[in-house]
Amino acid sequence: MKKTALTELKNGEKAVVTGINGGGQLVHRLNSMGVFPGKEITKRFSSRRGPVIIEVLRSKVAIGRGMAEKIMVQRVP
Amino acid sequence: MKKIILTGNPNVGKSVIFSHLTNLGALSSNYPGTTVELLKGKAVLAKNDFELVDVPGAYSLDATNKAEEAAAGIINSGDYALTINVLDATALERNLFFALSLLERKTPLLFLLNKCDLAKNRGIKIDPEKLSSELGARVIPVIATTGEGFDKLNLRIGEFLEEPAAFLPSKAIPEKNPEKWKLIGEISSLSQKIEHKHPCFLEKLETVTTTPHTAIPFGFVVLLSSILLIRFIGENLTNFVLDPLFNSYYAPFLAKLSAALDSATLKALLFGSSPVPMESFGLLTTGLYVPFVVVLPYILAFYLILSLLEDIGYLPRIAVILDNLSHRIGLHGYGTIPIMMGLGCKVPGLLATRVLETKKEKIIASSLLFLMAPCMPQSAMIFSILSPYPVFYTLLVFGYIFFIGLVAGLLLNRLIKQETPELFIEIPSYQTPNPRLLFFKLRLRLRAFLIDAVPLIMLGILAINLLDIFGVLSSISSFFSPFFTKVLRLPGEMGSVIILGFLKKDVSISMLAPFHLAPAQLAVASVFLAVYLPCVASLFLMIKELGAKSSFYVAAFNLAAAVLFSALLAFLLNL
Repeated sequence: MKKTALTELKNGEKAVVTGINGGGQLVHRLNSMGVFPGKEITKRFSSRRGPVIIEVLRSKVAIGRGMAEKIMVQRVP
Repeated sequence: MKKIILTGNPNVGKSVIFSHLTNLGALSSNYPGTTVELLKGKAVLAKNDFELVDVPGAYSLDATNKAEEAAAGIINSGDYALTINVLDATALERNLFFALSLLERKTPLLFLLNKCDLAKNRGIKIDPEKLSSELGARVIPVIATTGEGFDKLNLRIGEFLEEPAAFLPSKAIPEKNPEKWKLIGEISSLSQKIEHKHPCFLEKLETVTTTPHTAIPFGFVVLLSSILLIRFIGENLTNFVLDPLFNSYYAPFLAKLSAALDSATLKALLFGSSPVPMESFGLLTTGLYVPFVVVLPYILAFYLILSLLEDIGYLPRIAVILDNLSHRIGLHGYGTIPIMMGLGCKVPGLLATRVLETKKEKIIASSLLFLMAPCMPQSAMIFSILSPYPVFYTLLVFGYIFFIGLVAGLLLNRLIKQETPELFIEIPSYQTPNPRLLFFKLRLRLRAFLIDAVPLIMLGILAINLLDIFGVLSSISSFFSPFFTKVLRLPGEMGSVIILGFLKKDVSISMLAPFHLAPAQLAVASVFLAVYLPCVASLFLMIKELGAKSSFYVAAFNLAAAVLFSALLAFLLNL
């Protein structure tokens, strides 16, 4: 299966996080909200250039566009 | 007195629990970051007095903003007897990450599992006994909004006083994050069961208010109807309730009082110079008419609507919708929340900037707070003073102030070279507001207005009278008069208003009344007074938050923007 950035997912698609291309602080912040490699997430909504809203651990989290582009995921069929 | 700290993720209900246990007012809302400073109070638990500290919410102990810094600071200090960690039952796993970092600390700890009622509605079943044995610490299920489960807390605190060592956590916690998450997975799979439930109305509302093509029109409708409703409630309460009350009950009393007094100076000070309550500038006439008849109804209406939107959980959605636009003015979407708070009063608005991460964002948010968000007392006065004229002038004033803010934001974003961080916030689920909590919050905010603002308004009126008596007012007026006549095309005597605007903005706008200006002049004067300088209270707070140097730049920038844009407006209106 192909890896893509979180921003590429369609609304409602499920995916597993494969990696975070960012510095330690970014990784830690995402970690503390439950976004870490191996975790399944659902993309809920996003506009073309706006933040991406995902659902993880039954909470919804809004992630700025730039940050979302650094989160790599693999689609879950 | 032993100290207990109340900790946990943002928006898990710590402040509701704090208010319940201390009988003190702590503001609570349905979004992360309502509490940004340490709140302390006395709580009686198991017949003993404790000092209870409400700690701002954090997702981990590595601080990314000032509010989280405050949380990490007190937790790391070790200066407390017991930690209570509040867990949100609707999102147990995420909450356990922070819980593990507390379990690592080996200080007495106990868990409150809050929002059990909401969890049950969503098909989440948590076994507190099982969770307790998995965590190796006591877990008490509670419903903070109704007070259910607090009797158990009392029992446990009693046990704690007898044997504190029994509350020391014993569980071994792995060091690395991935292993922590693995452990959390194990703990929750053993203690939690989830059934699938059909989406309810609130979840459908979720879709409408977050899907981009419906969210923006919906947001616009919410904003517009809020403004109209605030104006409707405020205006009608003033015209049909408070003004008649003032005239038919209070005014005759004043007349009798006036007849009984001999001293002309005292009479002038107390009752002023004109029979019209807005123009007399007496302590007992304008001094009470402005806060109670004109401002209070709008404050009530504004905080009613704001509290409602907060408790439903709509505010973070606005932050998401506005994220794109906000980035152009150097903020991320969450930077709009302090500005919305500032529409009520600058002081809570400035405090709310603590959730912002960078200095740049804090400077821009503070600056825009002063430029584009006139506080409610000030807005109420502008509504009231422009009410006899076509609504065009009111729209012009507020539209123009908003425009100044946008231009200033674009400019500041270019001037301050620093990356704006990305939006990263939890979006709380919608909740049906709890009426008891809503009115509790409304009462707190109204009380803050009555205690903090009313004396300042009276002080402002007193200051004006004294300055007038000693002739200082006229020399100030003549000093500023060229500026007013040449630049803003307003009467030269208006200089005196400048001084008061610094003390209290609403009073300064009420001082426009005796000048009997044309509506276009009133518009220019209102815009200038709304943005030219922060009031004393917010200036001091800004210095505390940003430091003297940055505050000076913000104030100077605002003054420059005010002069420039008011002069432009005067020119455009052909004064």
